[in-house]
Amino acid sequence: MTDFQKYLTKNFDNPAALTLDGYVASGGYVALKKALGMQPVEIIDLVKAANLRGRGGAGFPAGVKWGFLAKTDGPKYLCVNADEGEPGTFKDGPLMEYDPHQLIEGVAIACFALGIHSAYIYIRGEFYNSIRAVERAVQDCYKKGVLGKGVLGTSFALDIAVHPGAGAYICGEETGLLSSLEGKKGMPKLKPPFPAVKGLWGCPTIVNNVETLACVPHIINVGADAWNALGCEKNGGTKLYCVSGHVVKPGYYELPHSTTLRQLIYDVCGGTKPGRTLKAVVPGGSSSPILLPEEIDVRMDFDSLGKIGTMLGSAAVIVMDDSVSMVRALHNLLHFYSHESCGQCTPCREGTHWLHVILERIVNGQGKIEDLDRIQDICGNMVGNTICVLADAAVLPTQSYIKKFRPEFEQYIRAGKRVSLLGGLIETVPVGAH
Amino acid sequence: MSLIHEQLRAKFNIVLSRYPVDQKQSAVIPLLHLLQEDLGGHITLEGQREVADFLGIPVAKVHEVVTFYTMLSEKPRGKNHLLVCRTLPCALSGCESVINAIHTKLNVKPGEVTLDGKFSYEEVECLAQCHLGPVLQVRDQVHGNLTPESAIQLIDKLGK
Repeated sequence: MTDFQKYLTKNFDNPAALTLDGYVASGGYVALKKALGMQPVEIIDLVKAANLRGRGGAGFPAGVKWGFLAKTDGPKYLCVNADEGEPGTFKDGPLMEYDPHQLIEGVAIACFALGIHSAYIYIRGEFYNSIRAVERAVQDCYKKGVLGKGVLGTSFALDIAVHPGAGAYICGEETGLLSSLEGKKGMPKLKPPFPAVKGLWGCPTIVNNVETLACVPHIINVGADAWNALGCEKNGGTKLYCVSGHVVKPGYYELPHSTTLRQLIYDVCGGTKPGRTLKAVVPGGSSSPILLPEEIDVRMDFDSLGKIGTMLGSAAVIVMDDSVSMVRALHNLLHFYSHESCGQCTPCREGTHWLHVILERIVNGQGKIEDLDRIQDICGNMVGNTICVLADAAVLPTQSYIKKFRPEFEQYIRAGKRVSLLGGLIETVPVGAH
Repeated sequence: MSLIHEQLRAKFNIVLSRYPVDQKQSAVIPLLHLLQEDLGGHITLEGQREVADFLGIPVAKVHEVVTFYTMLSEKPRGKNHLLVCRTLPCALSGCESVINAIHTKLNVKPGEVTLDGKFSYEEVECLAQCHLGPVLQVRDQVHGNLTPESAIQLIDKLGK
């Protein structure tokens, strides 16, 4: 797997590519030049044929999404979702920090294909280095005619601006992102209308993830067949996988889309630490249902993981070894979701809060067996009853942790003691706890 | 005297030029970042009023943004404001002992400022640096693979 040819990360060890000249020297902006000579519809068809699936989490075919953009003579926009925040995910930051021009080239090609003349890159506020790198690259592009009134000497005009976020997971949801970009609280909006019809400032808008757009220049360069050959059926190209938790070599890895979870954990990341065994794996960010060790012979593509009841999501693999208390792990995640719920939908605001409160009680040794059924009941009132999927994102892991580790939850409750997240140590209950 | 002094106003105008002329409100987050930095880490109500006037929007619209986003603060912060990740991947890497060490060392609660004004810290959700866990961030600096000892060394270094 080590001799695999890199596309998305090929410039990560080439700091010269941070500058426009260096990026051009590495073969950059060839794809944009080629695209500017194509018919827009040809580009969209090519991206469709390449089976580029949205890398933000949903895995929706990018070319199909582009096809939904409403026809209008008025303004329309492309917004890049660079608000990376799904726990376990750390791929879009490096893509911007180490190769900002790759993203800009992808944005420019997408805008040309869609007849868009204005794009905003919404970058998570904490990503100072990414914001700096992309802003510098954008300025460089304006100075040298890659952006502005005539892109690369053509009559196509394109403006790109960087917009920083300010710390809110919910802004990674595309309509929440648009609310935030409009200068409001990052509250998601009811769909339909979808952003492609009514998005930023009420205008047709496409929202794409950083990695999705970073793939586009390579698709133009190698063609749909070669891009498909890098992946597997209906999942074209290479994929950036993030691996964290209890493996020997955590990190982000660009690999064929056909890589299995076992290969990723054991061959690429060196497996669990010496003396430890695998207990559970989150395959696609904290919102994805958890997998057991016997379920990891699965291909890391959107469809294969979907078939076994979980999802690839943002391809963020969180590995847990046998030192982990699943009760404490779930408690940690529910703190996250209750903190990040934007609060506009009652089932999510109340549901995430009460799930966290119940887990807190269990963690502190004061849970009851009936709490496990109560949790199921709350979950049932959350899913599908809200504007966005944050509620579902809290429910899916909750249900899967309890389903797959129910005996451990029951044992924890019966023991009635506070046990540490790692190593099974008995802790004192903090003062002021329930 | 206006909090939006001449230099800051020039920066504000550059930001404003990125949005359509009839969509000034969109600039509110980038402007608040600039103002917060200029004011040394937090945004006063007076500052919120001035941003509202600059954009021609009600102050309530600025206030709801300041209170919604975790990076924006109405309360003073230390010269070094430590964002310490508490979410699952960092927790699996042992962030709890790091957080305890920071708490003991600084002897303040999350969100409070040390008496010398040099430090404050808060536990935050995923900073998207999970392979480096446990992680903390101070402004644009990310510090990873922390242990209780290395976190204390870092605080000693920043405090000098």
